[in-house]
Amino acid sequence: MEDTMQRNTLRAGLLVTAAILVAASIFLPLWGMTLVSVQYPEGLRMVVYPTKIVGDITELNLLNHYIGMAEISEDFFVELDTLPILFGVIALSTVTVAFVRRWWAAAVPLAVMAGTAIYGFWSMSRRLYEYGHNLDPTAAIRVEPFTPPMIGEHVIAQFGTYSYFSWGTFLPAVAGLMVAYVLWSDVRSRGRLAPVRETRPARLLRNPLGVEG
Amino acid sequence: MNNRTMGVIAAVAAAIVVVGWFATRSGRRPAVPGEQVMATADVQAAALRTYVKPGDLDEYYLFYSGGHSGQVYVAGVPSMRHIATIPVFTPYPGTGYGFDEETKAMLGGYTWGDVHHPALSKTNGDYDGRWLFVNDNANNRVARIDLRDFKTKQILGPIPNTMGNHGSSMVTDNTEYALVATRFSVPVPQRYEPLEDYATKYKGAVTGIKIDPNTGEMSIGWQILTPPFNWDLGATGKGPSHGWAFWTSYNSERATGKLEVTASQRDRDYVAVVDWRAAERAVREGRARRISGVPVIDPAEVPGVMYLVPCAKSPHGVDVDPSGEYIICSGKLSPTVTVYSWQKLKQAIDSKAFTGHEDGIPVIDYDQVVVMEVPVGLGPLHTQFDGRGNAYTSLFVESAVVKWKLPPYEPGTDPESLILQKIPVHFNIGHLVTAHGDTRNPRGDYLVAMNKLSKGRHLNVGPSLPESSQLIDIKTGDRMTMLYEAFTEPEPHFAQLVHRDVLNPIEFYPKEENRNPNAIWSPQEARVVRNARTRTVEAWVYAIRTYFEPGRIQVQEGDTVIIHITNAEQQRDEIHGFGIAEYNKNIVIDPGETKTVKFVADKYGVYPYYCTNFCSALHQEMQGYIEVVPRGMRLTMYDNGEGEMRFERREPALAMAGHEGH
Repeated sequence: MEDTMQRNTLRAGLLVTAAILVAASIFLPLWGMTLVSVQYPEGLRMVVYPTKIVGDITELNLLNHYIGMAEISEDFFVELDTLPILFGVIALSTVTVAFVRRWWAAAVPLAVMAGTAIYGFWSMSRRLYEYGHNLDPTAAIRVEPFTPPMIGEHVIAQFGTYSYFSWGTFLPAVAGLMVAYVLWSDVRSRGRLAPVRETRPARLLRNPLGVEG
Repeated sequence: MNNRTMGVIAAVAAAIVVVGWFATRSGRRPAVPGEQVMATADVQAAALRTYVKPGDLDEYYLFYSGGHSGQVYVAGVPSMRHIATIPVFTPYPGTGYGFDEETKAMLGGYTWGDVHHPALSKTNGDYDGRWLFVNDNANNRVARIDLRDFKTKQILGPIPNTMGNHGSSMVTDNTEYALVATRFSVPVPQRYEPLEDYATKYKGAVTGIKIDPNTGEMSIGWQILTPPFNWDLGATGKGPSHGWAFWTSYNSERATGKLEVTASQRDRDYVAVVDWRAAERAVREGRARRISGVPVIDPAEVPGVMYLVPCAKSPHGVDVDPSGEYIICSGKLSPTVTVYSWQKLKQAIDSKAFTGHEDGIPVIDYDQVVVMEVPVGLGPLHTQFDGRGNAYTSLFVESAVVKWKLPPYEPGTDPESLILQKIPVHFNIGHLVTAHGDTRNPRGDYLVAMNKLSKGRHLNVGPSLPESSQLIDIKTGDRMTMLYEAFTEPEPHFAQLVHRDVLNPIEFYPKEENRNPNAIWSPQEARVVRNARTRTVEAWVYAIRTYFEPGRIQVQEGDTVIIHITNAEQQRDEIHGFGIAEYNKNIVIDPGETKTVKFVADKYGVYPYYCTNFCSALHQEMQGYIEVVPRGMRLTMYDNGEGEMRFERREPALAMAGHEGH
């Protein structure tokens, strides 16, 4: 019995922590790229958050226009509207699972997480590809279409580039592992998830219409 | 807590640490491609190679163009120290340039110019140290500086039918001609035509400025009308290609509007190949029309004068190698330089291997004349030589100088293998210059990279920044080594780097050479004469350490005042200035020189004149007064207000004692 209580505490602790990590990530950088050349020794930076794109965007756009690359602007990224909502949904649903002790409950936030991850990475690779390929054919300098690298150190024209993922990607990943662990553990102890004391919100979630069955 | 709980918590903590390590790497700075750090030993070696100890002389003169400052700067190499500014197109109170009547007339009312490409005079393809020619991109002029005294002696222009004289002032092997070209086409002759008719009614022109071999006097030799391309840079043939001139063009699209896009659409623009002997002949034989007083040749009517050869996109520099056999064109928007063979160009011209024409000007078959497209890197602009079979090209976009091998090449040579070395420069290099780099005999020891941006490699001087120039050793170890950097005011474009032995300037103007009719050589000759009828006061002023004779000049309000000043010194660096307070005048007279300043005394009162160029211990005492007597008041120093002004003359020695005793 003591073991079950401790297990439940750990379960709730993991889920709440995971929710906090995901919620915090709304305000943390997801991904970034630093470009360095002889004339930009201090580097040009672009950092993508779930809600915004910051860095030397004006200067990057100015340089990119010579090869006919489209303008990088927050206005063009629907992701900046959807990602914070998705992160919020993940955080809320993860917290909720702490109060819904069903063996399958953790699968819900985990599925949303997986969906968000797929959407995020797909969207990112699509964006990188499009920026590097949809080049204005009338641009002053014509370059072979290319895909800016998503990760690691590379050389693009006169620039050394370093692309990296950051806190906003890593923390949700850890949160995902935590929720996955909870799900795995819940599935294993299926049937033995005795609610010690069902709270009102949990009851409402379990049986929103109040129909006793 | 059981072990499993502990384990999970530990795993979470470990995951966060690992993730944190990755995430904090987000601030990492990737390596700059080609970045080099100077080791301590390199720094020491560079310091020794550039240090010129006090009292010692630099080995080379570096004549920088001053860009839109309108001037020429002189520095020493290897120290890179700025030594002098030669005013050319802009008044310069430091030497009184543009304030005296002679230089004011030469400036012709313009107060600025845009100096781009200085060119030293040559004999047999080598610098002869006589003159330096510079162009004015803004007002379509060419100026000649005499290197005997480092002074601007002639400004020719605005040159008719030419607008934006950028592809200038390169000179031919024996200084027969200096080049001039139109960058901004306009209707020729100048008139109004709507911009919509640019492609058909606007014209460019390339011009040969004829230079008198004895005096250096410039006049317009010939002009060739061209389609409205933007002519960029020029070069003259050497050895086998002597007698020919070359210009690069961009905007062969003949476009207007946003040129950065509209003029960047064709993959190739043209290099003009001009037979200037044929142009000379056409003018002599009367086959040129006079437009705005200038002999103008229409190349469609006079075949054999001009040809076009395609060249990689929007080229900047065109340069002829020391042998005169290879012509190198730097395709600004293509990562290559195009190397043509002169022999093949000549053959193609002789066998009429043309693929078409532009307004009647034959276009030479590119494939028959190109030797190689050398993949030098991004943004190639301009090429110079070391005389050891290597070329050096500036790469604007890459911010680097690339060293590459000149032809001849073995058949099947891998173009990549021609690239020998790249060195980063700071930042965004425009032109570069090597010692005697555009002659038939480059010296091959120094290269100066003229960078467009300095971006704070110096003490912060606020948002208006100087330009940076970097000195590179190209001889030691047959490699490029960064030595030193210096800063100039805006904005060096090209330069000339010439060994000090080639020049032999004077130290002062010898008295016996002064042919100015207003020169006087003793205080006894000093005089002031007023003509009441013309309301003019003319003064002959004697200047020597440390007084002006006379020490006063009396004029009536409204008089025109003409003052001729002779600096009677015959001693190096005894320069005297003559500044007049509140009359906005300052002339500077070198030893043995006579200058004239003219103004209307339109405000009454007493205004001091004084020596502005520090000359001696009693420099501060070297002064006098202009008394401007109000209209209607009697002049006290003249009989009946005219004739010679009476003043107390000083014996030279007494005058000096008396004056300095105050």
